Amino acid sequence: MRRALLLTLLLVLCTQGVAGTQAVVLVVPADSNVVDLEPVTVRKLFLGLPVLVNGVPLHPFRNRSDAQLDPIFLQQIVAMSQSAYDRQILIGVNRQGWLRPVELTTRARVLATLYSDPNAVTFMWLRDVERNPKVRVIRVLWSD
Amino acid sequence: MERLTNSLRVRLTSVVLVIHAALVPLLYLGVSAIVEDGYAELFVNPLRSNSRLIADELEAADAQEFPRYAGALLDSVVLSGQVVFAEITDGAQTLHSSLSSVSPGRARGDDFEFADHGDQVYYISHRVKRGTRWVVLRLGFDEGPTLERIAAAKRRVLAAVLAFTAASIAVAIWLSAVIARPMVRLQEAAKRVAGGDVHTELQMHSSIREVRELNHHLERMRQELVGTNDRLESEIRGREASEQKRLDLERRLLHRERIASIGTLAGGVAHEFNNILTPILLYSQIALDDTAPDGALARDLTRIVAAAHRARSLVNRILTFSREMHSQEPAVFSLRPTVEEALALMRAIVPANIEVDFDASEDGTAVQGDPSLVHQVVINLCTNAYQAMRRTGGRLSVKLRGIDNPGDGQINPGSYALLEVGDTGHGMEQAVILHIFEPFFTTRDVGEGTGLGLSVVHGIVTSMGGSITVESAVGQGTTFRVYLPAAAAQVCERSGALG
Repeated sequence: MRRALLLTLLLVLCTQGVAGTQAVVLVVPADSNVVDLEPVTVRKLFLGLPVLVNGVPLHPFRNRSDAQLDPIFLQQIVAMSQSAYDRQILIGVNRQGWLRPVELTTRARVLATLYSDPNAVTFMWLRDVERNPKVRVIRVLWSD
Repeated sequence: MERLTNSLRVRLTSVVLVIHAALVPLLYLGVSAIVEDGYAELFVNPLRSNSRLIADELEAADAQEFPRYAGALLDSVVLSGQVVFAEITDGAQTLHSSLSSVSPGRARGDDFEFADHGDQVYYISHRVKRGTRWVVLRLGFDEGPTLERIAAAKRRVLAAVLAFTAASIAVAIWLSAVIARPMVRLQEAAKRVAGGDVHTELQMHSSIREVRELNHHLERMRQELVGTNDRLESEIRGREASEQKRLDLERRLLHRERIASIGTLAGGVAHEFNNILTPILLYSQIALDDTAPDGALARDLTRIVAAAHRARSLVNRILTFSREMHSQEPAVFSLRPTVEEALALMRAIVPANIEVDFDASEDGTAVQGDPSLVHQVVINLCTNAYQAMRRTGGRLSVKLRGIDNPGDGQINPGSYALLEVGDTGHGMEQAVILHIFEPFFTTRDVGEGTGLGLSVVHGIVTSMGGSITVESAVGQGTTFRVYLPAAAAQVCERSGALG
């Protein structure tokens, strides 16, 4: 009984420790040519502007598998509110012919996209990718 | 209390109040949420972009100049007005703007929603790459002015909502009064109709089509009810008149049957009595002829003959009443000379305190019958009249005229010669009127009358196919009306019967 209580306490402390160091990172497939992207480039990418690396267009995917990612995406990546972002996307798609970033609503689909598209770029919780050899972290976007 | 709460005005007003009580808070909360979201959008959107730009500026700054440049940038950011806290830290060292109004120890992590944490500062942190290491730019933006604007806007919204509510309630009260007014008028009119005033027109002047149509339909219903009511009342009056007429006819029939039975009885008695009188009169006359005129026996026989003649006269009058008299051959004659002749006789008889008036017209006064019987009718009626006025005096009025279809329900339709004999004497009670045509009925003292006068008149008039009516009131006088069929009408009726 005492052992069970100690294990539970340890588990809670570990969870709090993980939660206290959570971070959102920009990721690409492990075999991607992308090394790093500046914040301005990342912003362009997720606003739908075409971004080429070594002559190859990157494919941005908006990760919506976790609702907590949305405010971080809006504040740290595109630096605007949701409505402003929607207006900007509409303007870009309709007037400039840009492509709307594909939205993925489950973590499995995000990972599957990263595995299948070497030009894919997206953002994820660090804890979800730090032990995944098929995914490479290229930038920390936000950390608590 | 229940009467008050069930009234239309209170119900309508209550419904509006309940709707407002439910919707106005929702309206206020909804508008407030829109206002808050709008201001939050206006606040968050530019500062996210600005903080991103500052972070990008730092990331692109020259490495050699970075410490000095970063300090100047942080100060300039704070001096821009909206930023109240700015610092750059790499974990070991922290560069803090000396112009910040928030102490470094109170700074905390990011805000992702406007007005999080309640400290009126919106914090944004950006990781900035400086070569191979990362630093964190942390900016705090003042939410106070925006919160004040939101509060002011919410106060304006609240005032507008309260004004709208007050206006709506006032309009609801006015509208409920406008809607209820025709109903109240209709209710009052319906009350009057229910109270018996069915001729009150239902008038509701309203601009509401449904109310006008309701008024129209109710007015039609009222008119139909009034029509039905009038028809029913008319029918009731008609039935009452018919019932009264039936009762009168029944009474007259009973009276006539009683008179007829009395007449039959009297006629039979008179006939037998006449048979007895005939030998008495015959043999008395023979004995008187055979007796010396100056003797006592002759005087006695003369008295016997005179008494026998009086008896025969009495019998004749009884026979007249029972229609068994022997009159002359009926002839058409005008009533006026006969009546004038009888009145000339009466003027000689009646005392001076009785005035005799005669008013006659020639038209329609020809009848068929025995003039001597009509003469007796006039004499008998006038005699009764002047005897009723003998002590007090008065006016004896006789009128003669032709009449078509008398309105009196007692007389059959047709053309008649109307002989009217009226007096201003003492009149008769109803109980007396019922028996005046019965033979030997009299109200006079013993020896003053035989009670045969009016029964003889009734017999004569009836034998001529006519009718007699009497109208009398105690103290006001009596009027007899004799209706004798006009001669022309009789001829026509006979022609029709033969045809």
